[in-house]
Amino acid sequence: MTTAPVYAEDVPVLAQERIAQDVYLLTVSAETAGAPGQFYLLRAWDRDPLLSRPLSLYTATDTTVSFLYQVRGRGTALLSRCEPGDRLTLLGPLGHGFRLADLGGRVAIVTGGIGIAPMRALAEQLLPQHVTLIAGFRSTPFALQDFERLGVHALVATEDGCAGTRGLCTDLFDPGRFDSVATCGPAPMMARVAALCAAAHVPCQVSLEARMACGVGACLVCACATLQGNRRVCTDGPVFDAREVVWHA
Amino acid sequence: MPETILCGVRLKNPVIAASGTFGFAAEYAQLFDVGRLGAICTKGLTLRPRQGNSGVRVWETTGGILNSVGLQNPGIPAFLEQELPRMRTLGTVIIANVGGADQAEFVEGVRLLSDADGIDIIELNISCPNVERGGATFSKTCESARAVVAAVRPVCHRPLMVKLSPDAEDIVSVARACEEAGADALSLVNSFRGMAIDIRARRPVFDNVTAGLAGPCIKPIALRMVWEVAHAVHIPVVGIGGISTWEDAAEFLLAGATAIGVGTATLVKPTAMLDIIDGLERFGAAALAPL
Repeated sequence: MTTAPVYAEDVPVLAQERIAQDVYLLTVSAETAGAPGQFYLLRAWDRDPLLSRPLSLYTATDTTVSFLYQVRGRGTALLSRCEPGDRLTLLGPLGHGFRLADLGGRVAIVTGGIGIAPMRALAEQLLPQHVTLIAGFRSTPFALQDFERLGVHALVATEDGCAGTRGLCTDLFDPGRFDSVATCGPAPMMARVAALCAAAHVPCQVSLEARMACGVGACLVCACATLQGNRRVCTDGPVFDAREVVWHA
Repeated sequence: MPETILCGVRLKNPVIAASGTFGFAAEYAQLFDVGRLGAICTKGLTLRPRQGNSGVRVWETTGGILNSVGLQNPGIPAFLEQELPRMRTLGTVIIANVGGADQAEFVEGVRLLSDADGIDIIELNISCPNVERGGATFSKTCESARAVVAAVRPVCHRPLMVKLSPDAEDIVSVARACEEAGADALSLVNSFRGMAIDIRARRPVFDNVTAGLAGPCIKPIALRMVWEVAHAVHIPVVGIGGISTWEDAAEFLLAGATAIGVGTATLVKPTAMLDIIDGLERFGAAALAPL
């Protein structure tokens, strides 16, 4: 399920909400909602920085698209300063999202930090009583209520122990209890989830992150190593079968 | 719009999608009518498929982008079979950019591309900064540039354009050497060798240490080089280097370029080339005549 991407300037910002330390929820007006796991390139500035910023779809309605993102550098900092009424530039939806047909039975969604962002739209497409969110955070959790509202059961780990279990999300993840898995987060975490799933013969889909330029598969700067050679995170992914990805130590 | 003749090939306008930033055009054909472009240059092709470089491949810097793709491509035979037939339907001039690790690979690659239907111009990429062997080393000196151009000339039955590196010891002399060896046109510049260091990890950002710098920050240097080369050779020059707006493009045309290539600007705004075409059209052909 892919919608042709649209390039639009002057897209109105409808809402900007700071929901945690450095984490924001941005809602814009858009009529081209992507599928879970797809992403958009955003920019709220002219030519500095040069590149747009890839953000995955958090939620969508018929007329809006929302992005949950963390301020990591200058681009995301500029995005976080957008207010309702401001205009930004949007290209998307882009890439291949989650293969819903392969997320059957009891589904585990395993996330680290801002890796929770592509999962809200996914959870919405699954039967909530069959979904367990296993979310890890460095400190104070965020966005959990958006999943609980769907009826999704959430297990939480925090590195500082301020909520849930002290430790990592992977400490709480037992692949034997699930039939399929979707994961997103820091690379070492995803590599660990992929290894646990492989050992338990549980299918796992990973949503990868990469520095991108064109976003449409032309420039080849967002390559990731796979069993079939280097592939493009932006168009061959960002969601890949975990068994295909070659994880670097 | 000023119609452009580039080594005997008619371009509907002087705006060319530069190699490496436009894939094989299908990627952007979903966003705008790429048939409006004067020409489209393919991603750098090599005889054998290449996986490209490992590690970080792109890094933003003030006014520019460092890239280290390393000529990732499916190989010329796969390009001819899978990509070229689609490109031929786009309604514009197709330029095939060809790289190589050594002279023999260049010759064989040019031979295959030259014999294929639907390729209008061959761009000899002797200036890629991101490969260990071959690449920019060929356009570093007059001798190496002359040798590779002379070697491919007999097997090239299409117009042969040679893409030069700004890291040449003396780009004007290298340009003259290419002309003497039989080049029909020159394109310049490829990206500059640059680098970035991750100060916290205490190591270079790129696995290859150096990477190719492109974007608006290189424009004044590229313009100076185009000016110097255009005044030193008798073959057409395609100006490339940080062109983002129609005014930038106009500067290169005034400096003596017959056509211009746009790369990084497309990554910033997918339809940047259409804006450039429209802006040049409004400015008018007479105002774009070389100084």
